[in-house]
Amino acid sequence: MDERELIARVRAGDALAERELYDAHVDRVFRLAYRLAGDDALAQDFTQETFIRAFERLDSFRGEAALSTWLYTIATTVTLNGLRKVKRRGREIELDTAADVAESRRRAEPDLKTRLYAAIEALADKYRTVFVMHDVEGYTHEEIATALNVEVGTSKAQLSRARAKLRAALADFAGEWIT
Amino acid sequence: MTDDRIDQRLRDLARDYHRPPATPREELWARIAAARAARRSAPRILVLRPWLRWGLAAAAVLVLGIALGRITAPTGQVAAQADSTGAVAYQIAATQYLTRTEALLASFRAEARTGRLDAQFAGQARDLLTTTRLMMDSPAARDPRLKTLLDDLEVVLAQIAQVPSGRTGEDVDLITQGIEQRSVLLRLQTAVPAGPGARKQGAL
Repeated sequence: MDERELIARVRAGDALAERELYDAHVDRVFRLAYRLAGDDALAQDFTQETFIRAFERLDSFRGEAALSTWLYTIATTVTLNGLRKVKRRGREIELDTAADVAESRRRAEPDLKTRLYAAIEALADKYRTVFVMHDVEGYTHEEIATALNVEVGTSKAQLSRARAKLRAALADFAGEWIT
Repeated sequence: MTDDRIDQRLRDLARDYHRPPATPREELWARIAAARAARRSAPRILVLRPWLRWGLAAAAVLVLGIALGRITAPTGQVAAQADSTGAVAYQIAATQYLTRTEALLASFRAEARTGRLDAQFAGQARDLLTTTRLMMDSPAARDPRLKTLLDDLEVVLAQIAQVPSGRTGEDVDLITQGIEQRSVLLRLQTAVPAGPGARKQGAL
């Protein structure tokens, strides 16, 4: 079904169309929320709020960008604002999760991944968000720029800065990069 | 090894960073449907954006401060005092908030030890929680020490606000432990300006 037709049906109150829209986008919204939050409960909360807002505000969607891009804008706003609200508690949860993940991966790559995750956590929010969106989840710079309300050049610069910081943080693992 | 190859290796390794589980589609859809239904049936209330809430609160405090200043200032000094009225009014509001919060937490801790909790604690905590969030959105949060304290107070007050009436036990123990472990009361006492005048203002 054409996206415009789907949106028109949702606006008209078609419950099946709402579910169709949800099914088409929920995976990517949830994945992004989870990658940024590092916590299942938070990711579910942020995904829920994203779709509630999207359905409430669909009348204001003008179609200037793809519906997916508009949804990712809501998702990043909801997630980043939500993380700020639960910053301290969220950070503790993320650290716990990172520690669990690190533990489960230890056999494969003892310290490199642990250090990488810690280095990603230590990035400033703006760098971490762009790195996660682009290098981990595969968003384009255009999508990131729209979602974060920045210029495409800013997104590229922040990604470059994020990678440089990660390379520097892992410099003493240079020998292991080749393997 | 070039930066490009290192970046490629970084990307490969980072794929496991916060790797998401399968999306709980049905569970999430049920939650969304329930939340939307609840919002539709809930009475509409005016939700103010943080900057507007703080703006209104600041305006109210300023009006109070100006009124107090005009009443108490000797003739001829009104103009000179007008410039500092905002800062003074803000200080009064902050002191009042910190003093009330200190009193609430001290009482809560004391009653928790006796095993009998007054039902009013939850209501008072909710009121103070609103003020806490206003403070967190205000210029006061630029002070790192105060911001950390406000973050802790938000958590503690939210916990107290959710304690059911008359309830004691593990929930309450955890709250009091949190207060102790993070030295919340001590930091509150330090944050309240010293002197009987300040305390008196705070008790207004």
